[in-house]
Amino acid sequence: MLLLVGLRDINFLSPQNLVTLVADVVPLLIMATGMTFVIYIGGIDLSSQSIANMATVLATISLPALGVGSALLVIAAGLLFGAVSGVVTTRLKVPSFISTLAVGGIALSVGQYASGQQALHMDTEQRRHAFGWVTGQTAGIPHILVLALVIVAIAWFLQIRMLPGRTLKAIGAGEPVVVASGIRADRYKILAFALSGMFAAIAGLMFSIRLSGGSPTLAEGFLLPAIVAVLVGGTPLTGGVGGVLNTLIGTMIVAVVRASMLYFSIPATGQQIFFGLVLIVAIATTIDRSKMKVVK
Amino acid sequence: MNRFLAMETLRKWVPLLVLAGLCLFFTAMNPHFLTLRNFARIAISSSPALMVAIGVMFVILMGSIDLSMEGTVAVCAVLFALTLNALGGSIAGRGWVAIPVALFAGAVMGAVNGLVHVRLRIPSFMASLSLGFIGIGLSLLITGGDRILIDDPLFRSLLTVRVGGFPLMMYAALACLLVAWFIQDHTTTGRNFYAVGGGEELARASGLNVGRLRIIGFVLAGIFYALGAIFAVARLGIAETETGRNFMFMSITSVVVGGTALRGGEGGVWNTLIGVLIVNVIGNGMVVIGLADYFQDGVLGLLVITAVWLSTDRRSLSFVK
Repeated sequence: MLLLVGLRDINFLSPQNLVTLVADVVPLLIMATGMTFVIYIGGIDLSSQSIANMATVLATISLPALGVGSALLVIAAGLLFGAVSGVVTTRLKVPSFISTLAVGGIALSVGQYASGQQALHMDTEQRRHAFGWVTGQTAGIPHILVLALVIVAIAWFLQIRMLPGRTLKAIGAGEPVVVASGIRADRYKILAFALSGMFAAIAGLMFSIRLSGGSPTLAEGFLLPAIVAVLVGGTPLTGGVGGVLNTLIGTMIVAVVRASMLYFSIPATGQQIFFGLVLIVAIATTIDRSKMKVVK
Repeated sequence: MNRFLAMETLRKWVPLLVLAGLCLFFTAMNPHFLTLRNFARIAISSSPALMVAIGVMFVILMGSIDLSMEGTVAVCAVLFALTLNALGGSIAGRGWVAIPVALFAGAVMGAVNGLVHVRLRIPSFMASLSLGFIGIGLSLLITGGDRILIDDPLFRSLLTVRVGGFPLMMYAALACLLVAWFIQDHTTTGRNFYAVGGGEELARASGLNVGRLRIIGFVLAGIFYALGAIFAVARLGIAETETGRNFMFMSITSVVVGGTALRGGEGGVWNTLIGVLIVNVIGNGMVVIGLADYFQDGVLGLLVITAVWLSTDRRSLSFVK
């Protein structure tokens, strides 16, 4: 794909353009990384977009008072909302697509309430003071990109090397076995949802810093590409295989497809239809049907 | 055993009690809530919502879920308005063709949804979510993001002409509700929905073509979304991509709050009617007592979690994803 577009326009492959291309998808990458954990255990998180929206608002209004601390506030809020999704899913036995939809609705309300339903702007000076290290560049490489890769690396380490990550894989591969082995699967599932919420909040924070503002609808349109990135990367809806690195590749694919569509001047609406179709194909080809006796 | 039966009866009547309680509460907060004018307002906002909720109810009865309504409603609304305006702009003339066109569009979207879900064996929530996104994209593509105005007095009479204080729209919606009730209670297909929802393995073993039934369910849902789209256009006089906004969350909340179980096989059109009224009374009541409308999403979120939690028989579930 990259080459195909490169043939049409050689500028497309210039390092500068590629770096911009990658820096543009940082929020998406972070959100998709978080969502990976939930899909990894066979659930879904439909609240990411709303949590990111809420995060942009919270980051903007808390910046004057807290400075860098606003980042911590936003991350904590994301963690909390994600954990609520997790508790509702595991303890109240509400299917995850409904519970996250509902928690997303609550996050949306909080975002709208906090913002007074307006677009807010960050003070330039304050933003530079608190988050200048995020927006800056060193030798042509944006810091935001490095930061994103560090975050993904942490997620990857968590998934591959640490006990919770291994347990999540086991839950995705076969939850009854995990429960039978005496592991408290519920706790780990809540952890997965909480991580997803936290990453969505970080994604919102990054987005808000880049655009220097926040609004309850700023991150609209993130949900579809984020799910596509996870599934195209090779983490199936049924969970158990795939992971953070797959999502990294999936996000790259989404980014390249998106950028090439811009090059071929396909309108944004066409993109949505295209990603919708890609999603269906990706699910149909990766899903593990032996795990589902009845498809509901 | 007796206590068990009492619990069952109680559970059956809880939605109605909640509705009555809400009405009392809002009246106590502000007497203006209990006026004919305000009830007409609730009826107007409920009519499109009721159609969409009934549509998704058929799918939920089978234990599946449909998240495509926002896209389907948008496409149907836009196609309806375009056809109407292209054919003279009045349903008194040739413009009536727009109604079957919209219904057909809904049926086709539903059929695609059902086919993708059944033939490709993709869980319905993902299949329909993807198709919902496609629908929104499609409607944007058709309109180019513009609004289409409808100023046919005959069509708008659904909103403007009132009988007994309530707009014609409400009576039309109630007529559709009766049709849905007939399908649900008095046709083989309707009864089979319950059979599939109650236990798919058993339904299959008794010789039902479950796959075909699911597709029919999605087609039926699509047709009701189209009806919802027509009412929504009649209500605002505008058709655009935004017409479909919020229907997903609202309709699923309505169905679940009304007492139709997400696992399928339980509930029906009357539950859905109560559920839609609960959701719309809350929406209206919050405005009447002076709360900003953006709290609604949050309240609906809490409501849906509570409703699913209360309706889940947790003894029969080992784990939930």
